[in-house]
Amino acid sequence: MMPDFHQEGQPEVKEWAPEQEAPVILIENLSKTYGKIHALSGVTLALSGGVTGILGMNGAGKSTLFKILMGKLKPSSGQVRLFGTNPWKNPAPYSRVGFVPEGEKMHDWMTAHDFISTFARLDGLTRDEAKLEADRVLDFVGLGDVAHKQIGRFSKGMRQRTKIAHALVNNPDLIILDEPLQGCDPLARTTIMNVIRELGRMGRTVIVSSHILSEIERITEQIVILHHGRLLALGNLHAIRERLDNIPHRIEIGTDGPKKLAKSVIDIESVHGIMFQSDSVLSVQTHNLGDFHNNLPKAIIEGGHKVTSIDNPDDDLESILGYLTSGSRL
Amino acid sequence: MADKTNTIFRALDRKAAAITEFTMRQYRTKISTWVVLVTGIIVICLLMLFYVDAMQRDFEAIDNDGDSVDSDGDLYPDGQERLWGTDPFSDQIHPGLFDPPVPPDDPSKWINEDDFDWDQSPSGTQTVSVGYDDDGDCRSKDTDSQKDTNDNGITCDIELSRDLNGNLRYSSDAFVDEDPDDDAYAKEALHRASILGIGKLGFVFIISIFIPLFLATGLIRDEMNSGTMHYMLTKPIARTEVFLYRVLGYIGIVWPYLILLTLISAIVTGFAGPGDSFFRFSEFGIWLAILFAAMLATLVYGMLFCFLGTMWKYGIVLAIPFAAWELGMALLSMGVPESPILRFSIVGWAMVIVDSASMIIWPDMDLLISSGFSVEVQDSFGFEREELIGSEALNYFFATPGLGDISPFLSMIIATVVLLIQAIVLLFIGGALFKGKEIE
Repeated sequence: MMPDFHQEGQPEVKEWAPEQEAPVILIENLSKTYGKIHALSGVTLALSGGVTGILGMNGAGKSTLFKILMGKLKPSSGQVRLFGTNPWKNPAPYSRVGFVPEGEKMHDWMTAHDFISTFARLDGLTRDEAKLEADRVLDFVGLGDVAHKQIGRFSKGMRQRTKIAHALVNNPDLIILDEPLQGCDPLARTTIMNVIRELGRMGRTVIVSSHILSEIERITEQIVILHHGRLLALGNLHAIRERLDNIPHRIEIGTDGPKKLAKSVIDIESVHGIMFQSDSVLSVQTHNLGDFHNNLPKAIIEGGHKVTSIDNPDDDLESILGYLTSGSRL
Repeated sequence: MADKTNTIFRALDRKAAAITEFTMRQYRTKISTWVVLVTGIIVICLLMLFYVDAMQRDFEAIDNDGDSVDSDGDLYPDGQERLWGTDPFSDQIHPGLFDPPVPPDDPSKWINEDDFDWDQSPSGTQTVSVGYDDDGDCRSKDTDSQKDTNDNGITCDIELSRDLNGNLRYSSDAFVDEDPDDDAYAKEALHRASILGIGKLGFVFIISIFIPLFLATGLIRDEMNSGTMHYMLTKPIARTEVFLYRVLGYIGIVWPYLILLTLISAIVTGFAGPGDSFFRFSEFGIWLAILFAAMLATLVYGMLFCFLGTMWKYGIVLAIPFAAWELGMALLSMGVPESPILRFSIVGWAMVIVDSASMIIWPDMDLLISSGFSVEVQDSFGFEREELIGSEALNYFFATPGLGDISPFLSMIIATVVLLIQAIVLLFIGGALFKGKEIE
């Protein structure tokens, strides 16, 4: 019973035993209201394994959902289960969860290594183990060489990576990242995206939120779309687009001869409209994106056209939300 | 089973150590911490300066009974004439006419010539006889009735008894212990009054309430406001534990600080205090009790203010009326220590610890206070009762523990237990509140 003053022993916290076979995250009919404002209403969702992107505009309820998952907020109605356990007033599941909160605030006076090893001890690690663990996770996010610098001197990207490293302590099975790319420069974005993809490859369940589709697209195709607190869509990003087949998609093709290209493209069955946007860009409207993409290469090769770019400007979050909420765009 | 306890204990120990260390290190980075702690040191040092100044001052030797005066102008002070039985108001008769003639005394010999000889105090309904007529102006009276003006059958004594409230009462024969050493009395009384005043008001009240007000209110609140609480709460740790370990971190800063302040004060009063010895070791006990009371008070206040901060962002607003209540209770505890309303405060219990210790360490306290009030002082209108310098202050700051007729040791133990229970109750209330708190 002597206090473990030297903190050299083995971690002695018993592994928290989750309910067997339970999905990592199970959300049933979850609602959260603040007075008359519905931050979340009737969200039902189950997630296990892989990287999932939670997409939504600012204020769509992404952070609220995460805070409920992390037991910071109490659901107004509905149920949340983390590894089969209700997280409200119960910190037990967190031995298997890493959370990267939104917001800039950190303990700027600490070094990254200090910050991570201090809080790693809350996972039941000894002082020495916590130090080793901090070295490991900081190397993993690529901050090994600045581990002993003060967080206050870090760039935004480095701060985000420090927060991610903090979440990776103790090898969590579930990692939740709230807007991890916000405010980062392109290089930091790439690094963080690589880290997230790597975690997915390692078989962890990763949930990452963003309001920028192109970011999520580069990380994962499995997405959940939240809009005004409701779950709008769930599944593969492109599958979601496919499901909206009756809605026209716009594809912009950059070419030196738009008129010549238009003659070839108009023969494709799924094309129902063509517009000359400028001297070098042809805008094509289609009901069936898949069919169009299958036939386009053939049309280009047969016509001997020179194509410089193929763009799908509708494929951003705003247009998808527009389609999903109003049925059509414009 | 032993293994399991060991495991839980060690896990707790690691989490506790991590958050406690973190909290202590966090304090060091905040300017407010240093401002508050340095202000506390300055306040105590200023009080110590006043104390040292009082101890260095020479209190005028007052001829309390006025017998150094030569009323009839025959060069013999009145006291000397009374001693030899000649009329102090007639220059026709004086000890110089005796055979052999007695030379006149220097008048200063008749100042401070009859100091206190109070060596025991009565307990319960007992009556004791104390005092000795050092200068012989009582013993030289002619008849026993003149020597026993208090009619207790003992000549030239002072009779001590207690009233129903246990306060000391005295009844004195004329010219007994009537001209004590004012300087010695003032220094001893002011020394004790200073220790009690600085200890009770300075340490147990002001330091103990203001330090937690500034240092403990934000323990949880600031972390919640800035969003950094997430880094702690995403770990598998119960919120009540976080609450407790944050307060422990605060204690880790505040208790050593209190020890330092007390040590400074104890060393200053030890060296500068009156007495023949180089250092007054005997009073380390009272400083120890003051330190102990202040430690418990800072613990309970720390829990309370941390809880108020958790409850509401502007919890410090709630702390202000509470601090005013505690100030009232602190003052009340010195005037009416037995008042039952004191039991509904924190400071009231902390004062019991200091008061109990002062009874143990200075068992002669009520004798000292009462003797200060017993002396007749001459003014231009004749004889009038007036207290010696220091007795009023000592009477104000000294109080009996007020828990009824029980031993001071028992009072101290009861007060300690009550304060610990207060801390534990506040921990659970604060922890439960924090547990149910939604954190944005």
